[in-house]
Amino acid sequence: MHAAGECPAAHPCQCIWRYLNLSCQTSANVQVLTSHLNRELAVIALEKVSFGYDGRATLDGLDLAVPAGSFHFLTGPSGAGKTTLLRLIHLEHRPGAGVVRLFGEDTAGAEAAQRTRLRRRIGVVFQDFRLIDHMSVADNIALPLRLRGKVMTAHRDDVTELVQWVGLTERAGALPRALSAGEKQRAAIARAVITSPELILADEPTGNIDAEMGMRILRLLVELNRLGKTVLVATHDLGLIRAARSLVQARTLRLSEGRLVQAGSDL
Amino acid sequence: MSAPGPAAEAHRPAAGGILARRPEGPPIVPPSGWAAWLTTLTAAAMAFLAVLTLAAGLVAGSLAEEWRADLAEVATLRLPAGTDPATLGAVLDQLRATPGIAAARTLDRAEQAALLEPWLGRGAALDDLPLPVLVDLRLTGAGPDVATLEANLALAAPGAVYDDHAGVRAPLGRAADEVRRLALAGALLVVLAAAGMVALAARASLAANAEIVRVIRLIGGEDAFITRAFVGRVVRRTALGAVVGAALGAAALAALPAPGAQTALAVALLPGPGGLAALAAGVAVGLVGVGWLAARVTLRLTLSAME
Repeated sequence: MHAAGECPAAHPCQCIWRYLNLSCQTSANVQVLTSHLNRELAVIALEKVSFGYDGRATLDGLDLAVPAGSFHFLTGPSGAGKTTLLRLIHLEHRPGAGVVRLFGEDTAGAEAAQRTRLRRRIGVVFQDFRLIDHMSVADNIALPLRLRGKVMTAHRDDVTELVQWVGLTERAGALPRALSAGEKQRAAIARAVITSPELILADEPTGNIDAEMGMRILRLLVELNRLGKTVLVATHDLGLIRAARSLVQARTLRLSEGRLVQAGSDL
Repeated sequence: MSAPGPAAEAHRPAAGGILARRPEGPPIVPPSGWAAWLTTLTAAAMAFLAVLTLAAGLVAGSLAEEWRADLAEVATLRLPAGTDPATLGAVLDQLRATPGIAAARTLDRAEQAALLEPWLGRGAALDDLPLPVLVDLRLTGAGPDVATLEANLALAAPGAVYDDHAGVRAPLGRAADEVRRLALAGALLVVLAAAGMVALAARASLAANAEIVRVIRLIGGEDAFITRAFVGRVVRRTALGAVVGAALGAAALAALPAPGAQTALAVALLPGPGGLAALAAGVAVGLVGVGWLAARVTLRLTLSAME
């Protein structure tokens, strides 16, 4: 950045400040530009989003920008709206007001084809796993590939590798009902990442499992983040968030009274 | 934790492989219980009925055609009993010279006895009866000019009556046509009922697996994929029932007694084995096609409503 009047660029296109018709070196302008870039470049951008059930507002004028490659925790008490927020991002719900932007696309009025296209860039780990009961663990994990028209036999090695990565090799042929909660959670994570999505949403991924398994799942998510995936984890487990500090530089947001606030050292 | 059931076990991968053996993966729609086979059973019953109904329509159509042909090609001249041979000879000569008449032949005593046998019984003493002289006429084209013929006959053989059987056979032909139309309408109703049954089955299957549909959508599945999976399941069951039912229908018709002296005319008019096979194949293909369309439309509409 350079001072106003000292711009060395010969043409406005060579200077972002002049291009935007802003004078240089003012903090207000830096904020304007940063805010603009954050919104435009964010994987997830929510602007003044509101949503409610039966007339009761769960989310109220909520803003959120999640940059690509970041790791975010979303916390708050039960019923604060964490799952609702994830569902809005995953296009399960439509906001009552405001704008939900995914990968720079406004999702307002998105038709089925656009929703499917956007969802294919997202891997989601549901709170209740949502594995398909009559399919084996391996077939569940491979399902997103099938939905994209891939021939299963051509991806046998990929699935095998992923099953191994989540530590379910011995359970690959088992049906979901034969798995423990932790195993189901890991299968759900594997299914979420089999297509190498850009964004991973995880809803209470350690909700029903012991601390050791929780750490194992956290490490998996951190590893995905290191691979360049944007990760957003909704959890009420503050221990998990504290444990993550040593593994990843994560930003923690707290849902409170329908709005998001940056969580601090109180965690 | 309960052990997996046998239906689920069938979809487990082979011991040497991590995925199900099929290149396209295991079925998206889970195995269902015995109630799902009602679709197959109903389709079989529909196909069976459709084959019988269409066969009845075909027979009625053949009868109608036969009667029409008879009506167009045959007539009878009735001369009073006791007509002398000279008059008869003159009438025959006149008839043979008339345009539209290809042949004229007097029915002999035995043929007349055969005609009267249903009413008088075998071996009736016909010599004591004042039987008219009957002349069998074979017609060509539109037949003779009846007014001119009757005027000429009135001079040559007073009391002669020309009968083209129209009064008897035309209503029979119309009745056969009606039967054929009714049979086709019946077959159409059977097909429509099958379409309704398939649509209901598809809808029920979708409702029973709503959670799977929801998950598939959420992990990036298109409605076209879901539709294909559910249509495939319902249509496979319908197809199995349609093939079995149509084959049974054709077999039942083929098993009717072979045409003979004691066999009804209708049986003689049934299509041969090749025709019955074609009829059964047509019914099966028709039911599967209609079922496919009904399932596809129903699923698309239902999925749209589930948005």
